[in-house]
Amino acid sequence: MAVKPRTLREAQTTYSTNSELAWWVFMRVSGLALIFLVFGHVFFNNLAFNAGEIDYTYVARRFSRSWVKVYDTFLLGFAMLHGVNGLRYSIEDYVREPGRRFWAKVALYTVVGVLLVLGTMTLWAFSYEEMGDAVRAL
Amino acid sequence: MYRGREGQWAFVLHRLSGVALALYLLLHVLDISLVMYGPEGPFNTFLAFYHQWPFRVGLILVMAAVVYHAFNGLRIILMDFTDWGTKYHRQLWYGVLGATTVVGIPVLLKVVPEILGVGHGG
Repeated sequence: MAVKPRTLREAQTTYSTNSELAWWVFMRVSGLALIFLVFGHVFFNNLAFNAGEIDYTYVARRFSRSWVKVYDTFLLGFAMLHGVNGLRYSIEDYVREPGRRFWAKVALYTVVGVLLVLGTMTLWAFSYEEMGDAVRAL
Repeated sequence: MYRGREGQWAFVLHRLSGVALALYLLLHVLDISLVMYGPEGPFNTFLAFYHQWPFRVGLILVMAAVVYHAFNGLRIILMDFTDWGTKYHRQLWYGVLGATTVVGIPVLLKVVPEILGVGHGG
C-alpha cells in the first residue's frame, strides 16, 4: 500500500481482512469440529476396539468404507491445519532469531505439506478391497 | 496476578499438549500411510512394534492430551465469545480438570487391563 496506517482506526480499516484474524477464527471453528471428530476417532479405534490388536486387516477394512474415507479426510484436513498453525504460534513465540525462525517455518510447512499429500493418498488412492470377501466379511 | 496462577498453568498445559498432539499427528499420518504397501508390506511389522507396552502407555498420554486440549479449548472459546468467560476463567479451568478426569477414568479402566493382558481375549 502507498501510505502506512498511522492510527489504530486506520490500521483496523486497512487490515480488516488480516489473515491472522482468519487463523484466529479458524482455530476456534476447527477446534470445535475436532472435538467431535477426534473423540469419535478415539472412541472407534481405542475404546470400541483394543488398539493393541490393530493390524493391516483392521485398517484396510476401515479404509474400504466410503464414510471412513470422508470422515478421515475432514479429520486429516482440520487436524493438520489446526496443528500446523499451533506449531507456527509456538515457533513465533520461542524462535526469536529471524533466520532460524524462517527456516523452522520452511521445515514445518514442508513436512506438513508432504504428510497432507501422503495422508490424502492413503485415504483415496486405494480401494483396500484387494483382500475381497476376506476384508468385507470381517 | 498471572504468573504461576491458574491462567498460566492452563496456557502451559494447552501449549504442551498441543505441540505433543501435533507431533504425534505427523507421526501417526506417516505410520498409517504404510497401509499403501498392502497386506504384505511393512505395516504389520510397524504396528507390532507400536503394540509394545511403552507405546501403549504413550497412547494413554496422547488421549489425556486430547481430552485436556479439547476441554480447555472450549474454555478458551467461552472466554473469547461470552462476556462472563474471562471473569470465571479459574472456575472454568477447574471444570476442565474435572471433566478431563471424569472422561479419563473410564478410558483407563478400558485400556490399562488391555495393556496388562488381562482384558477380554487379550
